[in-house]
Amino acid sequence: MSKVYFSTWNGEFINNIGKPQEEWEESAYNLPATYDDNRDSKAFIGWDGVALFNEDVDVIRLAMEYAAQYQEYSEACGRCAPGRWGGRILYDLLDKIARGEGSIADFDHLKEIAKSMQVSSKCEIGKTVPNPILDLMTHFEELFMECIDEQKPSKHYNEEVSYIAKITAPCTDACPAHVDIPGYIEGVRDLNFEESLKATRQTMPLAHVCGRVCPHPCEDACRRTNLDEPISIMELKRLGADYETDHGLGFLHPGKGKKKKPIGKKVAVIGAGPAGLTTAYYLALDGIDVDVYEELPVLGGEVAVGVPEYRMPWAKYEQDIAAVKDLGVNFILNHRVTADEMREFEKTYDAIMIASGTRISKKVRCENERPEIQGYWGAIDFLDWINLYEKFDIKTPKEVQEQQMLPTDHVDLTGKTVACVGGGFTSMDVVRCSIRAGAKKVIMLYRRDEKTIIRNTTYEEYHEAVEEGVEFMFHSAVAKMNDENDVLKSLDVDKFELVPDPDGGRPQLVKIEGATETIEVDYLIPAVSQSADLDFIPQEWELEMTSWATLKTNGKDYMTSRKGVFASGDCEYGPMTIVNAVGQAKRGASVISRYVQTGEITLTDDEIMEDHLRKIKVYDKKEKITGWLAGVPRQKSEVLDVNIRKYNNDEVNFGFTQEQAISEAERCMRCYYIAMVAN
Amino acid sequence: MINFKVNGIEISAKKGESILDAARRHGIYIPTMCYLPKTTPNASCRMCSVEVEGQDGFVLSCNTPPVEGIEVTTDSETLYKERQNIMKMYNVNHPLQCGVCDKSGECELQNKTLEFEVDEQTFAVRDQYRKKKKWGVQTYDPSLCIMCEKCTAVCNEVVGSSALFIKPGGYKSEIDINLADCISCGECVSVCPVGAMASTDFKYTANAWELKRVPSSCAHCSSACSLYYESKHTANSNREYDAKIYRVTNDADFTSLCGAGRYGFDFENRVQTKDEEAFALALDKFAQAKNVVFTSQITNEELYLLKKLQEKFGFNLVNEEARAFQNFMKNFASTAGETLYNATLKDIAQSDFIVTVGASISRDNPMIRFNISQAVKHNKAYVATIHPIVDGEIKKLVTQYIKNEVGSEEAALAMLADTFVEDKSSQKEFFESIDLGYLSGESNISEEEIALLKHFSSRKKSRVLVIGEDVINHPQAANIAKIVGFLQKSGAFKVVINPTNTNTLGVCLISNLDEAEEGFTIGYNTKADFTLSAKGDGDLDMPALNQQEGTFVNIDKDLVTLNAGVVYKGYELNDIANALLGLRAQSVIEYTHQLGFKDIKFDELVDGVLNPAGEIVRGYKIESQPVKTQASIDEVAELGEYNGSVIYSVNPINQFNQFTKDSEHLGAKTELVGSLQFAIAAKISSGDDVKFSINGTTYLRHFRVDRKLTGTIAFNPSFDQDNKSANYRYNQVKIEVTNE
Repeated sequence: MSKVYFSTWNGEFINNIGKPQEEWEESAYNLPATYDDNRDSKAFIGWDGVALFNEDVDVIRLAMEYAAQYQEYSEACGRCAPGRWGGRILYDLLDKIARGEGSIADFDHLKEIAKSMQVSSKCEIGKTVPNPILDLMTHFEELFMECIDEQKPSKHYNEEVSYIAKITAPCTDACPAHVDIPGYIEGVRDLNFEESLKATRQTMPLAHVCGRVCPHPCEDACRRTNLDEPISIMELKRLGADYETDHGLGFLHPGKGKKKKPIGKKVAVIGAGPAGLTTAYYLALDGIDVDVYEELPVLGGEVAVGVPEYRMPWAKYEQDIAAVKDLGVNFILNHRVTADEMREFEKTYDAIMIASGTRISKKVRCENERPEIQGYWGAIDFLDWINLYEKFDIKTPKEVQEQQMLPTDHVDLTGKTVACVGGGFTSMDVVRCSIRAGAKKVIMLYRRDEKTIIRNTTYEEYHEAVEEGVEFMFHSAVAKMNDENDVLKSLDVDKFELVPDPDGGRPQLVKIEGATETIEVDYLIPAVSQSADLDFIPQEWELEMTSWATLKTNGKDYMTSRKGVFASGDCEYGPMTIVNAVGQAKRGASVISRYVQTGEITLTDDEIMEDHLRKIKVYDKKEKITGWLAGVPRQKSEVLDVNIRKYNNDEVNFGFTQEQAISEAERCMRCYYIAMVAN
Repeated sequence: MINFKVNGIEISAKKGESILDAARRHGIYIPTMCYLPKTTPNASCRMCSVEVEGQDGFVLSCNTPPVEGIEVTTDSETLYKERQNIMKMYNVNHPLQCGVCDKSGECELQNKTLEFEVDEQTFAVRDQYRKKKKWGVQTYDPSLCIMCEKCTAVCNEVVGSSALFIKPGGYKSEIDINLADCISCGECVSVCPVGAMASTDFKYTANAWELKRVPSSCAHCSSACSLYYESKHTANSNREYDAKIYRVTNDADFTSLCGAGRYGFDFENRVQTKDEEAFALALDKFAQAKNVVFTSQITNEELYLLKKLQEKFGFNLVNEEARAFQNFMKNFASTAGETLYNATLKDIAQSDFIVTVGASISRDNPMIRFNISQAVKHNKAYVATIHPIVDGEIKKLVTQYIKNEVGSEEAALAMLADTFVEDKSSQKEFFESIDLGYLSGESNISEEEIALLKHFSSRKKSRVLVIGEDVINHPQAANIAKIVGFLQKSGAFKVVINPTNTNTLGVCLISNLDEAEEGFTIGYNTKADFTLSAKGDGDLDMPALNQQEGTFVNIDKDLVTLNAGVVYKGYELNDIANALLGLRAQSVIEYTHQLGFKDIKFDELVDGVLNPAGEIVRGYKIESQPVKTQASIDEVAELGEYNGSVIYSVNPINQFNQFTKDSEHLGAKTELVGSLQFAIAAKISSGDDVKFSINGTTYLRHFRVDRKLTGTIAFNPSFDQDNKSANYRYNQVKIEVTNE
């Protein structure tokens, strides 16, 4: 909330013209009045209106520069008649007026063209660029007329002012990795899958992964929802990625994608999961030597050893990883770094990125929860052994076999009953893997209800698990583990009910007394959450931690409290999504890349704008959509038949057919927006 | 079916159909500038916006499927105004050079500017310098370009080369090209609504309204694509001949052409008089001929007359290329249970799983390539090519290259049959004789490769097998044909067999072909003791295929029609037949209904695009006939050895025959192109003149190394020979260097 001189942002109308600054009203929005630590903004102009932060802004030039940015900066455009010609006309006529050569006719043509663009443009950028320009022309008409009548330049026409613009979209803004979603969807619509993939890869090296197992927060910010249903954004990403592997095209780096010459700087990355790989990828592109240390015998982190083959085939993930290898990144596998090494790294490397994830399964917090009980098996370890065997043919060692009562060298649960406590993606992986490992009975215990589990995972994930035979016990929690000689026999399960708050607050979960039941199980697999294993960090560094016991950064540059030591992914945020890890790591790598060369922690204008826009929130769920036909159905891809998939690890989701993909891509409204700050 | 209303009229849309398509199918007009029915919508012009009752704003009709019950208005005052505004924008800075622009008279920008009554331009913008580009057969003028993206769409979806691409950037946006990927087909030129993408050679030679348009069928390969010859009277003061063809066009909204069809049109025989002496001599020669040799670049009617003459004079009708195909089809029928293969080019485009065996996809029949491209783009088709050469040209189309040993096509097909045929009972002996391990060793195709192929076929709904020339002329062709026939019969695949020359299929269906005997031979468009030649280099001139009426049977088994693009003034076969057989036909097309297919007269045949909805009818379909007896497939023969310098007979892209060879517009390179390994093995280097013999024909070629080729292989063109060979396309040769 900041005081503004004038604002039409998102339908508000604040006009403090002529009032002394103390009496200025505040805008209801998080507008970027302050650009960064050193600079204030003069004005902010975007798809939804315009805000002036001081009286001295040259509004005519502001309008002209905004039109210019649309012309010059918006590389996506020039692909529809109103956008290509209309955009140019806006810019030229505004410039003509601003430099003092305009006429009334120009002013009228501007309005006419602006109207045409608003109704006819192909993407939202073309439809919305006229919005703030028309606002300025309406509310500051006399200033325009002054320039026209007197044939004089606008007040700061010839002065140096910096204008910083950024293209975004509701989905792109909501995506932690800020993927150019309309761009890759356009690639699918153009049947130009290489371009689609390149659009994805600009900010998301793990295109194969995020085309398959991303929980797609973008879809919650899809404007199409305001009309009917969101676009199936994630699945459309897979088209480009699959095209690459189907046609053996090697790895398609975006744009030039060429690695810069080595600049003689070295960075150590701890962990080869999504965050570690992403860091390595972007640093390597900048010509920085990267050593990645990985504790596991394989690359890929949790996506490799946590996410099962049937959701994320290794052959596809391997293609993403090949890209990082392709850039000459050095991987050291089977190597858990120690505190001593970390101390050494600080001297031998120019920076360190910690991306070690969260690999300790948290307890369910029940009575008699003792790790030595056979049958008590943390989700992370459980999934490790399943995936190491299924994907990499790495057998389960003797000691694990004995502890977990396995008859063979891999996880075989034939005849066993498995109970999992969870409700998130990891627990879904556990139960569905248990089915595939031959368990007789698989039970998911969840404190809340069906609706919540769907919200926490996906509709598909939940229904596929039910189809495969997983029994869901809702409103249930384990109260006690019952063992015989340290072998798990059964669980006491408490039942809860949702009691509405008489004061209208959130309903409370209340234990139903006397409803506790005992269920016989062979395994209890806690998959409630994970915590970070950060033993390897030297104690004397005294890294600042969050209340979740993860590494603390400011969430912008991803540097920890120790200079030169960065953190990204789950070990920074806590157990979160792949796309979140990628987004953080990409930003972190960008900061590191400058840091190792200049010693300073800085953000680019693009990154600063990205953060500003995130604060303003690009998606407006109340906006009414015009110019699109409602009711065109969202496509759903086919999945492997349940009677087949229960017994193997083949990929469950077949992905879209081409027909479905085109149809889905054509639903995309291309909600690109352009925002600009004047400093 | 989705039912909805357009302008108050109840109509229905099929699944996947847009509002625009459905409206057009019902004869309702919606204006467009960028819509190209054969590709997915570009949505760039915004002209097709319509109003939908209860919906704010306009809805784009080209890429929006209708929703049940909506009420659409395609024309209103606001829509008119908006469309007019778009036309105003299109006209900003569009150079006013209609007087010299090729497109004038058939220009969509002109048409729509008039339609929407934009008769003055009230505003302009600062223009920028836009450089004209010459890209081989096409010339691009960005200042005329309206960025409708039709050219990039066809290049990507139809041609599958993706040479053209969009260089985005606001008002600066334009089209650019990766010239190395361009196959000079001219599809981009044919779809350009304005004068931006023009044909380099046609430019500034004629105005649209001066040209006379005659529909016909392309003479260069078995696709026999539908086209128009467009001719104009020349201002030649000597009046040597009246008219010549200036260009070839097609119904580009719905059909396609390759470069040879579009640019290789100038092959007419320019004879000016009837040579009575030569004609009399020809009549004599027919009476004494032991053989008449002909090529399959012949109309059905011409062949019909040759057959009539044969009946009277008893000579052998010889065409080795067609005989090989005829034998192949006979053997095919013996296991297929019917005479013809059961798929068409459209089936290829609509399939999602394509296997090709023994076909050079990028060169043999461009329409096979174009249709595979559409299958890949529209259906995500899995494409596997079983071929000894990895053809980099089609990398973006192929999912799986299966490289087989030269000569092992029979083994490859046996492996395919063993893997894909479910009910093997009727060919039990053959299947029992298959030893996959052994065949894999022989063909060098691993069992894993075939297993992978099988794996990826599992969810596919429509599988097509494309059989190419390599196997038709294979030493084991008879048995290969039987395997292919059984693959069709078993339902494992729909099958297309690419006829080896333009009317090979027609020739095979109309006449039995003989082996040549010692004795006097008349050549019809091929050199012999007495030669009748449409090239104008024989003993008596004959009309070329762009100067005749008649019919072909194309790869789709359609009887398609030819009309004369330009006049021919000499004697025709019909004259010979009339003279020798006492017939009185004015023209060969009087025999069309007697060919042995359907009793339909030539003038009653319908051939081409029928309506704005894009319905295409090409003459009529030749029906496959049932065959009762079933032959058994023999065991796979042992593989011959092909070591050392192996030469593959294949033409460069857009070259097919002696008629395309002399086209002014097609570059004709008759060089031998080989891999580096080939050069080393043959001890020759790039730039050498070399000499070698294949099946008795001696070739003198300039040799060039192409570093993109892999394997010990070289490509030897055959388009400069006057007839197609009926020999296996791979040959081991001894090469001599003949540098001076």
